[in-house]
Amino acid sequence: MLEKWKLREVIVLSVLAVVFAVVYLVFLQFGNVLYGMFGLIGYDLIFGIWFIVSIIAAYIIRKPGAAFLSETIAAAIEVMVGNAVGPRLILSGMIQGIGAEAVFAATKWNNYRPWVLIAAGMGSSVTSFIWGYFISGYAALSPGYVTAMFFVRLISGALLAGLLGKWLSESLAKTGALNSFPIGKELKRGKPENGITA
Amino acid sequence: MFLHEFNPSVKAFTVIVCVLILSVFFDPVTPFLTLVMTAAATFIFGRVSFKRWILLFSPFIFMAAIYIWSALIFSKTIEGETILWSWGIFTLTEEGFLRALSLGMRVLSFTSLSLLFILTTKPTEFLLSLMQQCRLSPKLAYGIMAGYRFLPLMKEEFEIIRSAHRIRGVPKARKLSEKMAELKRYAVPLLAGAIRKAERTAMAMESKGFTGDKNRDFHHKISVSWKDWACFTFFIGAVLGSAYISWLFGFLQLYNGEL
Repeated sequence: MLEKWKLREVIVLSVLAVVFAVVYLVFLQFGNVLYGMFGLIGYDLIFGIWFIVSIIAAYIIRKPGAAFLSETIAAAIEVMVGNAVGPRLILSGMIQGIGAEAVFAATKWNNYRPWVLIAAGMGSSVTSFIWGYFISGYAALSPGYVTAMFFVRLISGALLAGLLGKWLSESLAKTGALNSFPIGKELKRGKPENGITA
Repeated sequence: MFLHEFNPSVKAFTVIVCVLILSVFFDPVTPFLTLVMTAAATFIFGRVSFKRWILLFSPFIFMAAIYIWSALIFSKTIEGETILWSWGIFTLTEEGFLRALSLGMRVLSFTSLSLLFILTTKPTEFLLSLMQQCRLSPKLAYGIMAGYRFLPLMKEEFEIIRSAHRIRGVPKARKLSEKMAELKRYAVPLLAGAIRKAERTAMAMESKGFTGDKNRDFHHKISVSWKDWACFTFFIGAVLGSAYISWLFGFLQLYNGEL
């Protein structure tokens, strides 16, 4: 898969993954606070943030595997930096990445409109929830609560991963740092009045 | 054999298999016994100090406590369970209590296995091992190593941006909208800088002859021997042994839909 990638793209993907791994770790603490306040559903409120790198990497690089790889690497880095959830977290990352990747795959990695990005965020919500259901024992909770958790996570995935990821990628493209990537070229072509400087 | 010499890829595989086995069962005893054995192995064969271990472990005790609390309060009550305590809408049954305890112990046992891996593995060796044993693409592996080295640089850049904002008299964010704007003011330049640096790094690597070819040589060779698989067998045996003991005492339950 990576043979077709330029080294530039691979390194940018890795750097994004590393940066967001740190962001993810910070949000884990924040999640713990919400968890203490609202119980398990507290995590679901901000769960979307943990899928954001998939959306950003896919939106910027636009190649098969970007969403999956970035999320997987971010999880691996979280483990290496020292998150006690450990190697299992890499599996969680892969599963979250698969959710987003599946949505991009369904559009043959050709469509990066807002609704696709939102759907990709929700895709991660779905796969991560199924995984969490088995690994964290959500089955022990009452069905109504689990259903509420699922919908909260779905919305969180749409907003915090899909929309926030889109917005952040576009803000980045406006700085000109992404000019050699499709997203930067698109912005240049589409809206020349924005005054982008290389 | 010490855990530092345990091949990192095989070690990671061992931990993942142990976790998968543990998640099949649902009782408090199996994860508890695994937890004790894993912690003992970390101290004896990993030469990790208790202080360092407990520092990383303690947040998870807190988490497990919340887990138990959450499972107690929000758990469903099934007809015909022994009621221990009841107050208003909250009912505590013996079965519910065991379930909550199982959940908590499960989290802690996963944590101890993970700590065993983290505290005895160097990130670089893990990546080298992944390249040499699991055929991870060198492009990706060296990309990750480069990205990893960016972290301290980004911290430095963050300080610079903060000082720059302060010198120019940017007021402190108070309202939520101001906080969002502040977040953007930091995140966008930091990320843009990182991406620019990444492109330069890629160019530098290519100009030094890095092709990303999988058939490359390594200065630091990491091998797998029978000892690694012996270690693997030992850990899997320990987890299965815990399950067996739990079964002897009549606690063992398979994890299935009814929970």
